[in-house]
Amino acid sequence: MNCDEARRLLDLDADGELDVVRHVELTEHIKTCAECAARAQAIQARKTALRTHLPRHRASPEFAAKLRASLGTSAATAAPPAAEKKPAFLAPIIYLRRASGLAALIAVSLFIGYNAGDRHGQGDRVIAEAIDSHVRSLEDGPLMEVISTDQHTVKPWFAGKLDFSPPVIDLANEGFPLIGGRRERLGGQSVAALVFHRHQHTINLYIWPSHTSASPTQESEKNGYHTEKWSANGFNFLAISDVGAGDLAQFAKAYRADH
Amino acid sequence: MPHAPTTFEHLMLPHIDAAYNLARWLLRDERDAEDAVQDAFLRAHRAFERFRGTDGRAWLLCIVRNVCYSQLRKNRRGPETESFIEEAHGAPDATAEKNAAFWNETKGELLRRALDTLSPEYREVLVLHELEGLAYRDIATVAEIPLGTVMSRLARARQKLQTAVFALAEKDVSNEL
Repeated sequence: MNCDEARRLLDLDADGELDVVRHVELTEHIKTCAECAARAQAIQARKTALRTHLPRHRASPEFAAKLRASLGTSAATAAPPAAEKKPAFLAPIIYLRRASGLAALIAVSLFIGYNAGDRHGQGDRVIAEAIDSHVRSLEDGPLMEVISTDQHTVKPWFAGKLDFSPPVIDLANEGFPLIGGRRERLGGQSVAALVFHRHQHTINLYIWPSHTSASPTQESEKNGYHTEKWSANGFNFLAISDVGAGDLAQFAKAYRADH
Repeated sequence: MPHAPTTFEHLMLPHIDAAYNLARWLLRDERDAEDAVQDAFLRAHRAFERFRGTDGRAWLLCIVRNVCYSQLRKNRRGPETESFIEEAHGAPDATAEKNAAFWNETKGELLRRALDTLSPEYREVLVLHELEGLAYRDIATVAEIPLGTVMSRLARARQKLQTAVFALAEKDVSNEL
């Protein structure tokens, strides 16, 4: 790659919009070209300056409440999606009962399929609840019951408030400073909620005891919110935020690596 | 559509802050921004059955943007500040393009004023990309422009911002003398 081409791509790359192949080529070029490297640095500096200095304005709680009222929407949550799905599962069973032969065998696999579907539904519900909790924490609060950037202050705060001691770490060095925590209810149980910042955005990390020892990280995206869910060392972790999927994946990876 | 209101709540209400931030930067006034967001949400609510897709944010922000622009057209008084800056100060100092220290030393207040001097089309792409973290394709949806235009507008906006920061910094210095 030559300098002309590289310079056209520097902004795209910093914006996270460059394809992998050209990203690799550009990175190689920058290693060998001081001029382009300086430009790449200046672009990063500009990004940082914009993100740290320019305010991301937030609607006042009064205005948000007024807006909700004017739309006539209630705080009631949606009917769980699993309830709507049930008839779809029952229909083939009714149909198969009339057929014969392989019915028993198929019924077994249907049963397994149904179970798996239900577990999946459970996971969806926890994520849906977490999204509600995340939005509520930002708009109505309290976002934090303990405000501290020190993990050694936040962790002891949970003692006596929860029947488990959540692993609390600060990821300021990775660009995700810890800012506090609170107790929360999720899926019918008490969970720890840790609050982190990423630029102007908030990340809620929910932690509760797990029966599975470890599971890989699962990503999902719903209504513009990204979630990352994983289990490790006897805990479930669910991170949620409106930051980009890449940022949240980075957060999950850093948290997994450090605790 | 028995679940429509609930779905609207789940798809649109989480983005009140994003809507407000865009309106606030476009209209530069708290009350105007609140009025625009209120208006946009009512429109979104009425038009919700036309919404297809999963990303409520870009769709909602597109409505917010349209409301803000008609507001700006109504309020338009006096010339745009941007033309003044450009006429008075030509091309930006090219060294800033390779000088990270320039941005590290730029004060926040100066940066805010500089962004305010850009015309809304340029201001909004910077706000949407740098502050809201929208991908190019989402900005294309919000501003109703092709992807290529998003890229060129963003590039132009950055140049203009740099020019404005320079111009304001110079002016501040000469005022101090």
